[in-house]
Amino acid sequence: MISWLKEHGYWPFHVAWSDWIPTLWDGLLKTIEYAALGFLAAAVLGLVLALMRTSRIALVRLPAGIYTEVFKNVPLLVIISVTYYGIVQFGIKLGVFEAGALSLAIFYAAYLSEIFRSALTGVHGAQREAAQALGLNRWATFAHVVFPQALRLALPGTNTMLVDLLKSTSLLTVIAAGELMAVGNSVASQTFEQMEVFLVIGAIYFALCYPLSQALLWLERRVQAGSPLSPARSRRLRAARVLLDAA
Amino acid sequence: MNGGPVPVITIEGLVKSFDGRTVIDNVDLTVSQGRIVSVIGQSGGGKSTLLRCVNLLEIPDSGRIVIAGEEVFAGGRVVCADLARLRQSVGMVFQRFHLFPHLTAVENVMLAQRKAAKVPEKQAIETAVRLLKRVHLGHRALAFPDQMSGGEQQRVAIARALALQPKVLLFDEPTSALDPESTREVLQVMRELADDGMTMVIVTHEVPFARRISEWVVFLDGGRIIEQGTPAEVLDHPAQARTRAFLTSFDDVQPAELTDQESHS
Repeated sequence: MISWLKEHGYWPFHVAWSDWIPTLWDGLLKTIEYAALGFLAAAVLGLVLALMRTSRIALVRLPAGIYTEVFKNVPLLVIISVTYYGIVQFGIKLGVFEAGALSLAIFYAAYLSEIFRSALTGVHGAQREAAQALGLNRWATFAHVVFPQALRLALPGTNTMLVDLLKSTSLLTVIAAGELMAVGNSVASQTFEQMEVFLVIGAIYFALCYPLSQALLWLERRVQAGSPLSPARSRRLRAARVLLDAA
Repeated sequence: MNGGPVPVITIEGLVKSFDGRTVIDNVDLTVSQGRIVSVIGQSGGGKSTLLRCVNLLEIPDSGRIVIAGEEVFAGGRVVCADLARLRQSVGMVFQRFHLFPHLTAVENVMLAQRKAAKVPEKQAIETAVRLLKRVHLGHRALAFPDQMSGGEQQRVAIARALALQPKVLLFDEPTSALDPESTREVLQVMRELADDGMTMVIVTHEVPFARRISEWVVFLDGGRIIEQGTPAEVLDHPAQARTRAFLTSFDDVQPAELTDQESHS
């Protein structure tokens, strides 16, 4: 079948992919590294920004608000160019990896801070009060009452952003970041098979993003259902069940 | 102390205002151990605010509050160094329950034990299960709040408040958001707590219940205590015109219902 397709010129693949597998693999790993580090940093920064924006002090709210508005309204490609090429003029030279991950973090932190802020304000004020009335201090109230409920509210939007960020790592090709898209560009320019190469690259992105978004949906459903995610909580519920059954 | 009444809550000259509007106006109140005090009055009369001042969810403007012998508010400021510990000794039950929706009933009762009172996990679970059984909800221990009726949620909230072994329980209109069946369940549990000698302050619209359960009734109007005394004094023979007017507003409903029933029979 394959040989017949090849003989008659219908076989769509002309690139010797087996030669490129190690290169592609490196690119794939790079993409995952950028996405993982960029997302982690964006989530931390986004949470800090969200907490700042829910502060009672205007002087704390203001800079976080400005940050969010600025970086929400500037293209990621511009941020990448500034962090890698632009700031060199001020004598700051970041490595490709640092500049790439930083750009993703800066950009997505702005979006995540919006999601986190609305989640935090979405937790009913009475919940905080009920926790306080039980003698929980501020930290325990946040950690055990506000945060878990905000997480539920933030999860769908956050998951969308993670998949979006993963795809946006392809923009890093402009600074020759060595990720999947950059590898694709290099393969295409060496084989002159643009269509085939980019279809394959697209398929790899899909194979990465689709299972990820499905897994995140599954996680969302579990969190929504209140299922225990930590072993400690499973243990407590089991212990309670044992006690209840004993009586 | 040779058997004299031990005050659990002492409030003197309490004043609280919001945006220049005085909500609590120079209130004095003492709640002794084992006593059940009902606070009645019109909505907006300051009942809930008074309750919320006791555990300092609202910070009063002036006056003095002493909880279990410890001065917690005086001279216009909080003098209790450890607010969290104070609140552990003052349990509170809210009108709209405010259970933690991400946790099961048993975890709701466990949380403050573990994270506020630092009770070992095993003991916290045992206490939680015991208390849920005490409010007749052993079979619902693993349900989430949104799977429970209002009456069940409020009983879990009572168990949650009891879990820290408070010296007094504050109830803020505990049945106002409930249907009659749920109201009965919750009042039943409160009656059982009363029989066990729990000290309770109950802000309520349920005048008949207040009459049956409490030893002391306080009528609050416009932020002032208009009248206080035994249920017989305040509810049956009110000395003040405003108390009478308030109680009459409840009576209005009942004769009408009776007439209605009679006309049917």
